[in-house]
Amino acid sequence: MSDLPQLAVSTILLGGMYALIAVGLTLIFGVMRVVNFAHGEFLMLAMYLAFWAFSLLHFDPYLTLVVSLPLFFVVGWVSYRVVMRPIIHASHNVQVFTTVGLSIALQNVALVLWTADVRFVRTDYYAIVLRFGGAAFNIAQLVAFAIAVVFTAALFAFMRWSYTGKVMRATAQDRQASALMGIDTDRVYATTWAVGITCVGVAGVLLAPVYPVYPTAGLQFVLIAYVTVVLGGLGDMAGALIASLVVAAVEVIGSYVIGTAWKEVLYLLLFIAILVVRPAGLFGQRGAELLGT
Amino acid sequence: MRAIAPALVFFAVAGLAPLVVRDAFLLDGLILILMWGAAGAAWNIAGGYAGQVSLGHSAFFGLGAYAAALCGTRWQLSPWIGLLIGALVATATGFIIGYLSNRLRGPYFVLATIAFSQVLLIGASRWRGFTAGSEGIPVPFRPGFWTLGIADKRVWVWIVLTLAVLVYLVQLYLERSRRGYQLAAVREDEDAALSLGVPARRLKVAAIAVSAALTAACGALWAQYVGFVDPVYVFSVDLSVRFSLAAILGGLGTALGPFLGSVLVTTVETYLRARFGGIGAGLVGIYLILYGCALIVMVRFAPQGLVGWIGDRRRHRTAARATP
Repeated sequence: MSDLPQLAVSTILLGGMYALIAVGLTLIFGVMRVVNFAHGEFLMLAMYLAFWAFSLLHFDPYLTLVVSLPLFFVVGWVSYRVVMRPIIHASHNVQVFTTVGLSIALQNVALVLWTADVRFVRTDYYAIVLRFGGAAFNIAQLVAFAIAVVFTAALFAFMRWSYTGKVMRATAQDRQASALMGIDTDRVYATTWAVGITCVGVAGVLLAPVYPVYPTAGLQFVLIAYVTVVLGGLGDMAGALIASLVVAAVEVIGSYVIGTAWKEVLYLLLFIAILVVRPAGLFGQRGAELLGT
Repeated sequence: MRAIAPALVFFAVAGLAPLVVRDAFLLDGLILILMWGAAGAAWNIAGGYAGQVSLGHSAFFGLGAYAAALCGTRWQLSPWIGLLIGALVATATGFIIGYLSNRLRGPYFVLATIAFSQVLLIGASRWRGFTAGSEGIPVPFRPGFWTLGIADKRVWVWIVLTLAVLVYLVQLYLERSRRGYQLAAVREDEDAALSLGVPARRLKVAAIAVSAALTAACGALWAQYVGFVDPVYVFSVDLSVRFSLAAILGGLGTALGPFLGSVLVTTVETYLRARFGGIGAGLVGIYLILYGCALIVMVRFAPQGLVGWIGDRRRHRTAARATP
């Protein structure tokens, strides 16, 4: 029982990070009805950005964040224009394979440019451990969590109250009706994609001081993000938040009880179980997975 | 007859080539073309004909590879028996996956299959007592046909060719039989097919199971040919993408397509490996960048693949000739 505070703190810290990755993914799905299989690769690119800024320019990762935010918005916008826009109304398979193609290309651009070496961002404060009420945690984790929470809250506020956010939600609800109301859906998709990519752009920079980066680093995080997003109901942003805590809890408690070697199996099995039993997710509407358009 | 003429030529050339070609490098290339072609075609049975697009087919490939390797190293059995066991286990797994994910469509099905192959990947790399863990299994070379210890690459060409032709024939069956038409109906519009009394679920599950068995057979032969089974490779998402890539580039739901796709994919890869392997090993990744871009361009501009694109061309020409 004495480990309980530690488990709780670890869960919350981890959950905050997962939330930021998952929110971008679920936003893109909700509005565009596209599962972005290249989501992890954008995360990986952001981690590399933090790494190179740190090792070449001695930028602190939290300083890089200021650059990363607009940069990944632009990267998202451009990748939408070039890759996603032509296939936004195509069949599921075309969309799946387009993002898979994007993922392969980006992964190997990183491989060719920066080799397969595992790299770390070693900040001065990397090893500082805080203790609080029987729980110990790394300061980088805490800062990452705090920024992730602020950013996610800002995104929620943006979706809730800004005009653009309202337009995005309207398009998510009914793309035909919103087009009839004079909404420029193409612009909405571009914004959505760019905002989604910006989320991982921020998440990647925040993860860099905590996790090593290598060309396939995105996969492990994006798998978790898929689990989270499906659990919360694809397209449901609030669901994704709760689900990221659930997934983090499964991971933390799983590592504690059965060891770190098998923890991934736990959430993957949870994932398959959810897909089989209730593909709409815990909070999603039944039958959402059958919506074709 | 005319419809399968190109395939006859393709397989005849592949089968006769070893009589003329002695160069080990070229024969190795041919074996890989046939191997990835057969795996792509096996994927095509589920992904192309049944419309069950999976990115977890490496699960079946890995099961076959592990069955063959474990039979040889652990129980001193012939890899042929391993191939059979692998195919049986994969069929059973295919049934389970197909049955469980029957309701899932589009990206949901893709996600479920990815998750499944990842479970096997982690299982194979962590269950050290049984699978030797992430170090992988070196497959011992025991000379003889029964033990599949064959040094002569020409014999390998014929073995893999046999499997390739078998997968091709299964596809041909799907193109020409009542069951094949029913499956196409399910793929195009499941609700309409159901209303006509087509047993949609049973057909889809069967297609996945057959596809799984054939993919496992490829995996078993691959393990014996390469001589090493590495969990991170045989269960990887990359490998699943490779199967689907051959089928999509060549032509989704066409019998010869995956083999043509494999010719393209494998030659580019083998060339770049030979050219940049060793010192500039990182540059080998260039072919994967090309694949990624090719995939994006192909599904956008020629979703029917090479076979469909050539067919269109030809029809245009005949139409032009008919109306002067």
